[in-house]
Amino acid sequence: MIKKGLTYLFTIGLFFPLFFLFIFSIGRNWQFPAIFPKKNTLDNWSIILKGNSELNTSLTISLLLSSLVAITITLLSFITSKYIAQSKHRSFLILLCYLPYVLAPVILGVLLQFYFIYTDLAGTFAGVFLAQLIITYPFGIIIFNNFWTPLVFELEKLTFTLGANTNQTFKEVLFPLSRKVLALCFFQVFLISWFEYGLSNLIGIGNVKTLTLRVFQYINEANIFYAALASCLLIIPPGILIWINKRFLFKAETIV
Amino acid sequence: MNTGKYIAIISKSIFVVFTLIPVALGFGYAFLYSFGILGILNDGFTLAHWKKVLFTPTLWESLGFSFYIALISLTIAIVFALIIAIYLKQKLQKGFLSIAIYLPLVFPALVMAFFSFLLLSKSGWLSRVSIRLGFINELEQFPNWINDNYGIGIIFTSILLITPFFIILYTNLYHHEKLDNYKELSQSLGASPINTLRKVLIPILLRKSIFTIVLFFIFVMSSYEVPLLLGKQHPQMISVFTVDKLQRFNLLDIPQAYAISCLYGLLVLGTMALFLVKHSKIKLK
Repeated sequence: MIKKGLTYLFTIGLFFPLFFLFIFSIGRNWQFPAIFPKKNTLDNWSIILKGNSELNTSLTISLLLSSLVAITITLLSFITSKYIAQSKHRSFLILLCYLPYVLAPVILGVLLQFYFIYTDLAGTFAGVFLAQLIITYPFGIIIFNNFWTPLVFELEKLTFTLGANTNQTFKEVLFPLSRKVLALCFFQVFLISWFEYGLSNLIGIGNVKTLTLRVFQYINEANIFYAALASCLLIIPPGILIWINKRFLFKAETIV
Repeated sequence: MNTGKYIAIISKSIFVVFTLIPVALGFGYAFLYSFGILGILNDGFTLAHWKKVLFTPTLWESLGFSFYIALISLTIAIVFALIIAIYLKQKLQKGFLSIAIYLPLVFPALVMAFFSFLLLSKSGWLSRVSIRLGFINELEQFPNWINDNYGIGIIFTSILLITPFFIILYTNLYHHEKLDNYKELSQSLGASPINTLRKVLIPILLRKSIFTIVLFFIFVMSSYEVPLLLGKQHPQMISVFTVDKLQRFNLLDIPQAYAISCLYGLLVLGTMALFLVKHSKIKLK
């Protein structure tokens, strides 16, 4: 009985925030003491279909930024993590990868802002892209660290011994073996970039209006319906990714 | 030198460029600025900015407030996560709940903070429901849970954000560590279900997750978006306090912002180093 109650309560708790935000994203006119907005309309959502709306622009910027960051980091960290894994100081180097997270991205942003201003990268898309690379690259290394096991290195050596060249070894052995972890890295880095607010705001000086910045802007303008709509847009892509990625999510990133 | 060695050198250089150099450059500039060696209004080495930061209570209040938020949020989240992971372990491993549990992970901190704001504010959803149900008669009777002194809104949001991570972690750990076998063994040796829980299951789960707990503690302490939206002007959490100092119009606050960043960075790194030295048995896989 208690277990059943707990299951129901827990399930409702999981879905309630999503339901709640969706109701507000289609809502208008929430006067006190009405429990939900009096009017429901899809007009708010239709602005996404309009080409030049600010929300549309933010959605495009966020998708472009997160995809670019995720692709770059997946490739870069896959190649470089192999040599980190072969290092004598592997554990220490992996520990260093936690630096940006332990320091907090926004604090790192404070420490680095001068250099971005000095190089004219502050307030630009390239600047935010570079800042996000700095915080996500170590995460990529952490994810791939678990992939480079002695078994993988032995398999690589074996293919070389059997006469395969570097390209063949990558195509026929390493890539098929690493497909899942490559996808995991892409998804996780995409999520970090997609969710990022503090660093993007600090380095972008508010000029690079990602979706998270737009949510904050709408909240400050007390436009709760557009804020809810932008929130729903923020939730949908990671929702799709996590659903695809569900099977191997969390396994590589959690150190126990 | 063959291609492999070139790639190895380039790879290690990329690692250094992206991981070590930004942190070193950031700390270097911040230290020099905070000691008056760099910066527009600075004119030579001084300890004035550090003294101002260290001997005014605001920084310590901010650190204390961040510590308090992290401690309360994490404790409550872990308790909830343990209850759910242990009691619903079968449902969390197979079927609908095993997929649904991932749903909260798609919520960015900012969106969860906005959800809490709509839910808990004075004119929010809970206050309206309370009036409908007759628990309160007017708006003023509803407690202050947003931008309040105790950071209730921040704690609530942090719990919503952290708990699912720990539920997934504990569900996986329960499975991987084969805790059902330990449970059977302890009960066959005469332990009651409560004793098995208290002395076998929970200690194993907590010990195995200690590194993650410490990391999450630091994450919550350093969180930015949630206290920015739901926090008060005083006391502020450390990230908000630092960024606020940096972005103020008073240029004299900038060296202090850098001093706070350095101090907080050193404090966190020191704590992590101490933790790792003490728990050197934890293997970094």
